[in-house]
Amino acid sequence: MLNFLLRRIYLLFITAFILSLIAFTIDHLTVHTFESENAYSLYKNYLSDIIHGDFGTSLIDQKPMLATGLSAFSSTLELCIFAFLMASTIGIPLGILAGMFNNHKIDYSIMTIALIGLALPVFWVAIIFTILPNAIGWNMPIDGNISPIYEVPAVTGFLFIDSLLVTEQYQFEAFYNYIAHLILPASVLAIFLISEIIRLTRHAITMVMKSNYIKAAHTKGLSRRQIVYRHVLRNALPPIIHQLRLQLSTIISFAMAIEIVFSYQGSGLWLFVSIQQGDYLALSSALLIISGFILVSSILIDLLLVTISPTKRKTLYADQ
Amino acid sequence: MIIQILFIFASLVLLSGCYQTESTITNNLLYCTDKAPTSFNPQVSHDTASLDATSHQLYNHLIRIDPVSRRFVADIATRWEVNRSKTEYTFYLHDNINFHQTDYFTPTRHLNADDVIFSLQRLLSASNPYHAINSQSENYFFNHPLTNIIKDIIKIDDHTVRILLTKSDATLLANLAAHYSVILSEEYATNLLQAGHPERFDHLPIGTGPYQFKNYHNNIIRYQRHQNPWQTPANIENLIFDVTSNSTKRYAKLLSGECDIIANPALSQVEQISQNPNVSLSIRPTGNVALIAFNSKSSPFDDVINRHALSNAINLNTIIQAVFFNNAVSTDNLLPSHSWAFNPRTLKQHFSPEDSLKSLQENNFNFEQTLRILAPIKKSIYNPNFYKTAELIQANWANIGVKSDIILLSKADLDLALLSGDYDIFLTGRSPNIKDPDNIFRPLLSCKVNQIEGNTSQWCDPKTQALLDSTLVKSSFIQRVKNYYQLQELVQSQRIYLPIAHLLRFDVFNKNITNIEVDPQTGISLYKANKVPPLNKTGLQ
Repeated sequence: MLNFLLRRIYLLFITAFILSLIAFTIDHLTVHTFESENAYSLYKNYLSDIIHGDFGTSLIDQKPMLATGLSAFSSTLELCIFAFLMASTIGIPLGILAGMFNNHKIDYSIMTIALIGLALPVFWVAIIFTILPNAIGWNMPIDGNISPIYEVPAVTGFLFIDSLLVTEQYQFEAFYNYIAHLILPASVLAIFLISEIIRLTRHAITMVMKSNYIKAAHTKGLSRRQIVYRHVLRNALPPIIHQLRLQLSTIISFAMAIEIVFSYQGSGLWLFVSIQQGDYLALSSALLIISGFILVSSILIDLLLVTISPTKRKTLYADQ
Repeated sequence: MIIQILFIFASLVLLSGCYQTESTITNNLLYCTDKAPTSFNPQVSHDTASLDATSHQLYNHLIRIDPVSRRFVADIATRWEVNRSKTEYTFYLHDNINFHQTDYFTPTRHLNADDVIFSLQRLLSASNPYHAINSQSENYFFNHPLTNIIKDIIKIDDHTVRILLTKSDATLLANLAAHYSVILSEEYATNLLQAGHPERFDHLPIGTGPYQFKNYHNNIIRYQRHQNPWQTPANIENLIFDVTSNSTKRYAKLLSGECDIIANPALSQVEQISQNPNVSLSIRPTGNVALIAFNSKSSPFDDVINRHALSNAINLNTIIQAVFFNNAVSTDNLLPSHSWAFNPRTLKQHFSPEDSLKSLQENNFNFEQTLRILAPIKKSIYNPNFYKTAELIQANWANIGVKSDIILLSKADLDLALLSGDYDIFLTGRSPNIKDPDNIFRPLLSCKVNQIEGNTSQWCDPKTQALLDSTLVKSSFIQRVKNYYQLQELVQSQRIYLPIAHLLRFDVFNKNITNIEVDPQTGISLYKANKVPPLNKTGLQ
């Protein structure tokens, strides 16, 4: 286990070093110039600043970049998590159905829906969703994270929690308002994710259903439901999580594009506005924050997989 | 475990059913605007966004114009007196006016004569410590009328102020009701000066208006009702300005209940909005006029026949359709039709390329020369697209064989080009600061005004100047109207300027909002705005 961790952390350091070089180059190409002849000492100072959490100050509002960036990114994460849960609620049961009824009419119907979801451009769907509530007479907010009526101080940076901390002032109104604001952008992101989850679940279930231990379970006389709950799901889940991990950066990119359409105050909108106003320091800060998150979360997902899947434990050994 | 998480999530989604749209919460009012204010003081910011966000929400004036009777009525002053020669105006102030009490300022006294003197002297006197703060002195042209009129301001006692004029001037009251004549706190200004941060004065505002400033973050400006109001308190407790630059999104937010009022819908959407039974569209004519100025100092426009002939070759209807999307009022006059001095019987421009060509040929016009059409590169509040306007004029002139070049310049280069006089026509406009017609005519026609200040036709004529000057000192209202009638006839007969269109201001609001006062010159007033639950959503309350 220690070997595994060390190997992962070693890899993390190499990647973080390369990323910091890229961020440094972006930073100095856009904001500063290489006036001093010694780029090495400049980089050393830059690295020391980053390690001390000093990402610079925004030109727009004179606030520290790290705090603004983290607060924006936490909103993006909330959107991703909410969309992921939404997609899992719909995608996993549909994927299981498609996998159980492989090459059946149900399977074809579900896969057609999944393919349509993959084919639709996220940006276009987002614009359609902003028009949708008014077209069908549904009162849904289409702009921002929460109504400006509610003043929610940033305590954790996650509005899901912060809006619950102001119940004394607004009861649960601020929380409901936040959830309502999240539904449309999360639904757009979920359309892409549902398609992905259906595809992955169906494939994993089909593979598991073909295995001998399922046939053995059938001969044991277990009901279909028992087989699915006891054997199929447990074994199908790790490959799904593993595949989704690889999609993490795509999900975040899609979320950032959606944020711009819905004026959702996440890292996408933050970057968009900063670049529009010539605050290029945001570019390198966003690169470090987002890629840093993806790196750390990859390791955490790996650890999770190792814990829940016996087959993955092989990776604990250095020769695997 | 997964099923439990998904169950909790599904419950959360269902909980969003408890969501109330903002339009059902009646103590909040959301005004969605297209631009953020540049500051919170109309003395230093004259753009519409800043005026809407400040003028009537945060401040009061000595006097104001009653929106119904259109007469001057007292605001901070209880009454005023004028001496016989009309050179001294004495204002008597209310004695219990409270300034806003906020996190950043606690007033220790009521408003008094010192505040009035400080506020006006900031505009007028270079020795006022705030005169140069936040580029106030750069606003000279906006405050120009006042600068010329007022000789001195004297404190008679704590609640009496006397304004001495250089000479009798009928526009003083209009100037005092203008957006820049707001009354600020002298005590707050002194405190900030002592603290070494006078620049905060215009960004953390203190006034006496119906709403007080709370905060401004992420393009959201929050105001709350004045905590110690001296007038009847506003109906709305929390006033929120939400800056949403995209016009389609602003309209979508109005329909989804996220905005109660939106400013400046896209001109292309106005027709669709007017057909929506759920919203009200407020259309107010502004004093803003789009113009073509002819350089009367050089050939060929030094000849009145050429000015008439070439302006009759321009199809103004096409310009109104293509540039203004039919959302401006075509005009033959510098004054809007709602002005008290509007003369309906002036000479009309008559589009006729044939007559125009004939007239030019008879006048031996040199068809070999190339005329220079000068225009600003950036759009302005009186013309959304200068380039397209110039192109249409160029095409009209090309039809009668007149060649022209379009020169688009940025502000600095434009000023140089105007001063050098190296242009034949200039696409411009006027956005009057006050309701007095003098504010339109003087900058455009006076010999004492240069090209940058407004006289882009370089018109200087003793008769016009005499009319302008005598009208200011006329005590008889009828005589003033007569003089302005003559001035309008003169502009049309001499074709000094060719007015294209008067612009309109559009605001859209939900049907449950009432009592909004829109003044195109001083901004929207939400003081008396009232919000009731929408009829079809009352059940949610």
